[in-house]
Amino acid sequence: MVTAVLALSLAFASMGMAKTLKIGSMSPLTGSYAADGNDIANGARAAISVIEKQGGIPGYDKIELLAQDTACDPKQAVASANKLINEGVVGVIGAYCSSSTIPASEVLAEEDIPMITPASTNEKVTERGLPYMFRMCGRDDDQSVVAVAFMKDYLKAKTVFIVDDKTTYSQGLADNVEKLAPDSGLKVLGHDHVNQGDKDFSAVLTKIKDLNPDVLYMSLQNSSSGALMLIQAKRIGVDAAIVAQDAVYHPQLMEIAKDAAEGAYLTFGFIDTEKPAYKTFLEAYSKYGKPGAYSAYAYDAAMTLLSAIKAADSTDPAKVKAEIMKMDTAGASKNIKFMENGDSGSNYVIQVVKDGKFVNFWDPTTKKLF
Amino acid sequence: MDYFLQQFVNGLTLGGVYALVALGYTMVYGIIQLINFAHGEIFAAGGYMGVILLSYLASHGLMETHPWLGLGIALVLSMGYCAILAIAVERIAYRPLRGSSRLAVLLSALGMSIFLQNGLMLTQGVYDKAYPTGFTQGGIDFGNVHISLMQILILTLTTSLLIGLNLLVFKTRIGKAMRATAQDKVMSALVGINSNRVIATTFAIGAALAAAAGIMVGLYYGSVRYDMGFVPGIKAFAAAVLGGIGNMTGAMIGGLIIGMVEILAAAYIPYGGEYKDVFAFIILILVLYFMPTGIMGENVDDTRV
Repeated sequence: MVTAVLALSLAFASMGMAKTLKIGSMSPLTGSYAADGNDIANGARAAISVIEKQGGIPGYDKIELLAQDTACDPKQAVASANKLINEGVVGVIGAYCSSSTIPASEVLAEEDIPMITPASTNEKVTERGLPYMFRMCGRDDDQSVVAVAFMKDYLKAKTVFIVDDKTTYSQGLADNVEKLAPDSGLKVLGHDHVNQGDKDFSAVLTKIKDLNPDVLYMSLQNSSSGALMLIQAKRIGVDAAIVAQDAVYHPQLMEIAKDAAEGAYLTFGFIDTEKPAYKTFLEAYSKYGKPGAYSAYAYDAAMTLLSAIKAADSTDPAKVKAEIMKMDTAGASKNIKFMENGDSGSNYVIQVVKDGKFVNFWDPTTKKLF
Repeated sequence: MDYFLQQFVNGLTLGGVYALVALGYTMVYGIIQLINFAHGEIFAAGGYMGVILLSYLASHGLMETHPWLGLGIALVLSMGYCAILAIAVERIAYRPLRGSSRLAVLLSALGMSIFLQNGLMLTQGVYDKAYPTGFTQGGIDFGNVHISLMQILILTLTTSLLIGLNLLVFKTRIGKAMRATAQDKVMSALVGINSNRVIATTFAIGAALAAAAGIMVGLYYGSVRYDMGFVPGIKAFAAAVLGGIGNMTGAMIGGLIIGMVEILAAAYIPYGGEYKDVFAFIILILVLYFMPTGIMGENVDDTRV
């Protein structure tokens, strides 16, 4: 009886001592970008499960992820950032859309809360000089260089037609490609915009078929819009090679577009699926399904934040930042080594859809096929 | 010329879809002067029912052996399902409010729309659902103009449903009752027409047409998503107003105009793809400015449902 009471009171005592480490994630969990947004939250959850399996973080019993829905809306992103500040998070993974990440990061910066974006590729994200802003993925300016190099060196294209859907991301990439094209001897036959959430692309695709460019640069911030455009392009009979970018990457692309996705190219950060860090990630992620475009980046971002807190043995932002800057480790997506401005460097390659799978295709540094 | 004809076919297809959805708005408005904002969600529900049924049939191999039979089954069942759904919506959200202010019913319609959309999201998830293929490729070529199988299917189905609807409204007893109720609810009730039943029937017919449009859209574009009803709903509503709300022929013409303007603006006007919705609504505003009751007029009692 006495031991039972003792055990019970000990249990209560330890429950009273229980400390939870809270980290936040911000991404669109509903709306057009819900697929990518859920991938990001799940990537962070996978990282937490790996860290907890490795013994967690000393001083804390539990690591909790507060996943916020930004709906890719700047206003909602700022509200989410404020909410996370009130909840007392020590770091944030997010917020997917560059147009959300930028305003949200300014709110977080006032409280010196580190933010690591797994998916915002716009240059401005790290170019504003915020001390606690980090980026795990690559940058648009690097991505469009690779896309244009591929069109010129591999596809030997002379003409290109560009379509974007007016987001900071997609239009930024499309504008970069348009700017770089003339220097590579590519003639831009046209640059059209469509609306986010459009389903019918028959008008613009008929125009493209009529102009008959060598390449269609499909700059859409969404695998489901990408799938719709691929289906309709095939049906209308567009012969151009289609080059897209990393936001189109998602297993959902092939589920919807099926055969129509075959042969589509996209720029994507190089991932070595054979390395141990990637395999650990894949195993931890498996309960959420197949990884999407930003799952591995989100996993690495959360891993970086949590390992830095562990190494610093503190949640003090300055100390955490010092640990993050010291890191030089193999992550699931890439080698994690941050530069002074918070970027971690781009490693874009060309992937192609082959037999319903994304496979590495062309390496821009060697200009050779994989 | 080929380019224009090709874009014309694109516009016709899109317009046909809008027309089918617009009929539901206009019929309900014609009969109880209510803008049924939940109609776009009924369209989405039809698309979802279609993908569920077609996937089920495909998993049993029917889509391999008898694709047209499979499509027919899915179409009929999904139209039936949406008809029942619309009757339920009418019972829950509109009938108890009959007689209260128009604003109350309008708010109830908006609430229903949000409720149904969230219902779809919670039950079906936020990801796109892919339609099984089978009808997406193939078609006919006239010179350089390609009309895909799906476009033919949409246009044929739209035309036959419209003919069927016209026969129903103008040649049958229930059609006569619908027209009578639209003209004067009180008087028609006095001569023994059950107006509740007529109103429920109108909702059901409009919903069945929207369900057909939902399946067509799902097949044509290859996938459906929980929020797919919103934009076509707004466009179809605009089409109904453009044609003269309450007027069936007007709704069809309005749908075709909106679809055509959208496609032709994207095809010919610089940055048209970006602003195509704006052009559609500019046309709407201009028409209403000069013809306040829409193209076909609002109060033509004979043709009003």
